[in-house]
Amino acid sequence: MVTKEDIEHIAKLMRIDIDNTEQYLEQTQRILNYFDMLDKADTSSEEIPVHEMKISELREDKYERFETKLIDHLKNYKGKYVKAPKMN
Amino acid sequence: MKLEISANEYVNGIKDGTFTAEEFTARTMEQISKLEPKLHAFISVNNDAVEQARMIDKKIRENEKVGVFYGMPISVKDNICVKGSRTTCGSKMLQDFVSPYDATVSSILKSEDATIVGKTNLDEFAMGVATEFSAFGPTKNPWNTDCVPGGSSGGSAVSIRALESLLSLGSDTGGSVRNPASFCSVVGLKPTYGLISRYGLVSYANSIEQIGPMGRSVEDVAFLLNHIAGKDQNDNTTIDNGHQNYLSDLDAGIQGKRVGIIKEMCKSEGLDKNVESAFRRSVSSFEKLGANVGEVSLDLVDYTIAAYYILTASEAGSNLARYDNLRYGFDFPQEGYEFKSYISKARKQFGPEVTRRMILGGFVPSAGFAGKYLLKALQVKSKLQKEIGEAFKKFDFLISPTVPILPFRFGEKTNDPLAMYLADINTATANLTGVPAISVPFEISNGLPIGIQIHANRLEEKQILQAAYALEKTTNLPEVQL
Repeated sequence: MVTKEDIEHIAKLMRIDIDNTEQYLEQTQRILNYFDMLDKADTSSEEIPVHEMKISELREDKYERFETKLIDHLKNYKGKYVKAPKMN
Repeated sequence: MKLEISANEYVNGIKDGTFTAEEFTARTMEQISKLEPKLHAFISVNNDAVEQARMIDKKIRENEKVGVFYGMPISVKDNICVKGSRTTCGSKMLQDFVSPYDATVSSILKSEDATIVGKTNLDEFAMGVATEFSAFGPTKNPWNTDCVPGGSSGGSAVSIRALESLLSLGSDTGGSVRNPASFCSVVGLKPTYGLISRYGLVSYANSIEQIGPMGRSVEDVAFLLNHIAGKDQNDNTTIDNGHQNYLSDLDAGIQGKRVGIIKEMCKSEGLDKNVESAFRRSVSSFEKLGANVGEVSLDLVDYTIAAYYILTASEAGSNLARYDNLRYGFDFPQEGYEFKSYISKARKQFGPEVTRRMILGGFVPSAGFAGKYLLKALQVKSKLQKEIGEAFKKFDFLISPTVPILPFRFGEKTNDPLAMYLADINTATANLTGVPAISVPFEISNGLPIGIQIHANRLEEKQILQAAYALEKTTNLPEVQL
């Protein structure tokens, strides 16, 4: 069971402002109810798969210069600083 | 000069001088100008396309080395980066974002002399089955403009069906190439996980998504796949396919091949009667082609929608965290906000479906719920992989209707997310298991297209294309009235 507080808490963690909490609550509840069917899936013997990759398979850790200065793409970049609202 | 020609006919036409790349591209751009007000397949159009085609003609005239596409007009889904062009993902959050680099697939298209005519419309961040959730307005189905074109690569499917491009690249996380292919009567392939580089595809659910080629015929799709598949050092999940030629022996047929009907995908209560009967006729077609058709059960298919949405929401929740309006975003003044509330406020620009997925994506992997949802979904995925592996010991191909329903009307499912999610019931299995699957146009029922889906085992793209080609040859579909 999801509560209004749960939705508000998750929205805060996901950093989204939502106005119509009630609507999201109702929809999330319905979707989660559907997901609950997984309780019936017989997967008890199943391990959680992990994907391993050998370091030798990774590409060489080599510095390659990127032609565009990506930092210029920041919207509020002022030469040396990024302008952002005050942290508190 | 006809626009409705195959990739092969295009290349021959250029080579023997029947038309130039510039002429063909110019005609394509006219088609775009004419049909876009009605269909809206594109988010942005490349205004330099004709000029670029002219440069390719110049290379041809001067006997310089020319790439395999010879200036062919190709469209690219707007979640794939093309350097210097906007990549919006159908989202207001990225409406002004210009890609600083090319996706691997885009750089291949460019270096092989394709003309990228534009970026196609999609559901915001590829989350949807109808291209209704684009922040820039929906794409219309050319067969009936009151109906959705499918999604999320709806713009790509429509652009090729409406002759606004010859080929297209889409992306498929749970059916997003195959669903619109089915709804618009084009061919769409979701390749084996790792066959095509995802470098430069904006991340949604990395563990299962793939870029997929789309075209008006199986041969066209094989042609495009030939050039975009294979190992890429910028995507560690890519596989070396040994430069396989998917075009050779395309007409090998499927005589004696074993074809399994996936029972769970053909019995769901949501299966439309017209789709069901079309599927039955496709089974007869497979039999007439000399295949041995049987039935197979994949018990876990019933759980795929739940598992798929849990996994994708979790991955999307983390992937979308980067849109904080400092690096990516839109113009939104900072005055009067403190840091956290500013980001939350800016992120209000995400549409309702993306917001819903983020809420789910925050919930299902959270402490206390992960065992019930996320870990269980991973177990289903793992077991389903084994189940389908067993099925491929008995069968070469597994078939089903691509989508259990016909293209529906706009707005019909927007307020019922669960009903919308269920449209993915037949397609999500290929994504969860990593196997390739293709949708082939099979019938037009009351003016609306129906596609048939064929799965094969991992890296069996050559076989899947042969089967699709054989099935395609049994059909004789009407042309769409544009």
